[in-house]
Amino acid sequence: MKLHAVEILERERFGDHTLLRYRWTGAPPEPGQFMMVRTADSLQALDPFLSRPLFAHDYDDEAVSLLFEIRGRGTALLSEEDAGLLVSEPLGHGYTLDGGPVALVGGGVWVSPLKLLSRHLTRSGITHDVYLEIPATAHEAYAAWISENYPDAALVRTDAALDAPQTVLGSIGDLSRYAGLYASGPAPMLNAVKRLSDGTVPAQLALRERMACANGSCYGCAVPLWRDGARAYARACVDGPIFPAEVLAW
Amino acid sequence: MVTRRAMSAGEETGVDLTVELCGIPLATPLIPAAGTLSKEALGEVKGVYGAMLPKTVTPRPRAGNPPPRIAEVSSGMVNSIGLQNPGLNRFLKDLDDWNVGLPLFVSVAANTVGEFAAMCERIAGEERVAAVELNLSCPNVEHGGLQFCAGPWAVREVVAACRGALSGKPLFVKLTNEGVVSNAMAAEEAEADAVTIINTIPALVVDPRERKVFLRGGLSGPAIKPVALRAVYEVSRVVEVPVIGVGGVTSGADVVEFMLAGAAAVQVGAGSFVREPREMLEEFAAYLRENGLRARDLKGALTEL
Repeated sequence: MKLHAVEILERERFGDHTLLRYRWTGAPPEPGQFMMVRTADSLQALDPFLSRPLFAHDYDDEAVSLLFEIRGRGTALLSEEDAGLLVSEPLGHGYTLDGGPVALVGGGVWVSPLKLLSRHLTRSGITHDVYLEIPATAHEAYAAWISENYPDAALVRTDAALDAPQTVLGSIGDLSRYAGLYASGPAPMLNAVKRLSDGTVPAQLALRERMACANGSCYGCAVPLWRDGARAYARACVDGPIFPAEVLAW
Repeated sequence: MVTRRAMSAGEETGVDLTVELCGIPLATPLIPAAGTLSKEALGEVKGVYGAMLPKTVTPRPRAGNPPPRIAEVSSGMVNSIGLQNPGLNRFLKDLDDWNVGLPLFVSVAANTVGEFAAMCERIAGEERVAAVELNLSCPNVEHGGLQFCAGPWAVREVVAACRGALSGKPLFVKLTNEGVVSNAMAAEEAEADAVTIINTIPALVVDPRERKVFLRGGLSGPAIKPVALRAVYEVSRVVEVPVIGVGGVTSGADVVEFMLAGAAAVQVGAGSFVREPREMLEEFAAYLRENGLRARDLKGALTEL
């Protein structure tokens, strides 16, 4: 996997989240595409061994931004000041844009790809509503950042005691007024979106899988789906990471 | 065409990267390890490899294992993919996808000796295939699920059957580290043409928070390089057939080390997920240039302690 050294224009940390903005002159990322990302030092040391797949959060013709939660050493290193950044080209199949109006549903720390999607929908003149669920456990700084950066979104602060995905989906109300659903969230939320959309509204889901090669070679990022009536495993990196909900064999 | 590019890469750097493996000329000593290079990624590696080696194929299609299939560990990764592949019929139908102007090696696995031999017989008649590599790190259902490389007797049986079935083509035998010396000797006795040393090492990843096994699979990456190097070294001292070295290669220096330890060619696996094989080849070429050597000069050219 060819990685490019890029210039970091902005590194913002809020709570346990980081926003990285880097100058990018290569192929523009499509909504739902991802990049393999790591620090320059970690490639030298091969520690951590693998790069991290991160969704394109936004792109403005000059820079790509990444929004991610700090979960382990890889993401912690990426959040450090002065860490040199290496990124791949945008990878995978993103969201497919059709007619509107559509609903964007994001959950918790997984809202990242919806920003770029929203930008493209606006550019294409497709009406869309954004529904974001922020768990009560989320860091205040992150919650504030989300409120600030998604001014038009319907934000649902869920209580940990409640069933979060039902709550955000419940706030959407009648799904039939939408021509499509675009979701990016934790597995229970994606499951709920799939169930709710089944037979009513086409839904596209952003899947997060562990990846090693990110070019279809290792078959590590297996996603169960229905193919020709049989259960099979697709690869999130080259067949996804965005999948139509109806093909997923969950 | 790709071959010519590889040659020109060598010419540009002013070094001779060519090696020979069982009579097959390779433009470079690098080969993708089975299961680490997909059709989708072929464009990224033009001019880098000396041969092609697709993911292991089995007699019938295999869906593979449910996720999780991979886990990152210190200096490497553990995988348990489960030999997901479209089966031999479909594989042969689409074989031209792998025609990039390089010798094509095919990795095979099966549940029984008979199935192994039947696959070899089928491939023997396939002109486009230059050689077959037996993946013996899979369970033999006729022997209670013991691996085909469980011991010399098991290796001898399957290799002999395949040797008889694969007329006219070189037969490579890929072995895991455990018992590698006696298993390699058994493969040679059964007339294997080369041995590929080593496969991933059995490994376990535990999730302490959930108190459960996260993954039971094979370890690859730099973590296994010294083990693989030792295995290549020991095997090279006791067999006459060429040794194809594999395990944790991530740099040109690693390629040099494997060849010095006795490898005639070197496979790149998990390392290609994190570094470009092209860079490894360039580093390898730079080493040869600086030392006034050809790739073929390295094999076994190691000063003993």
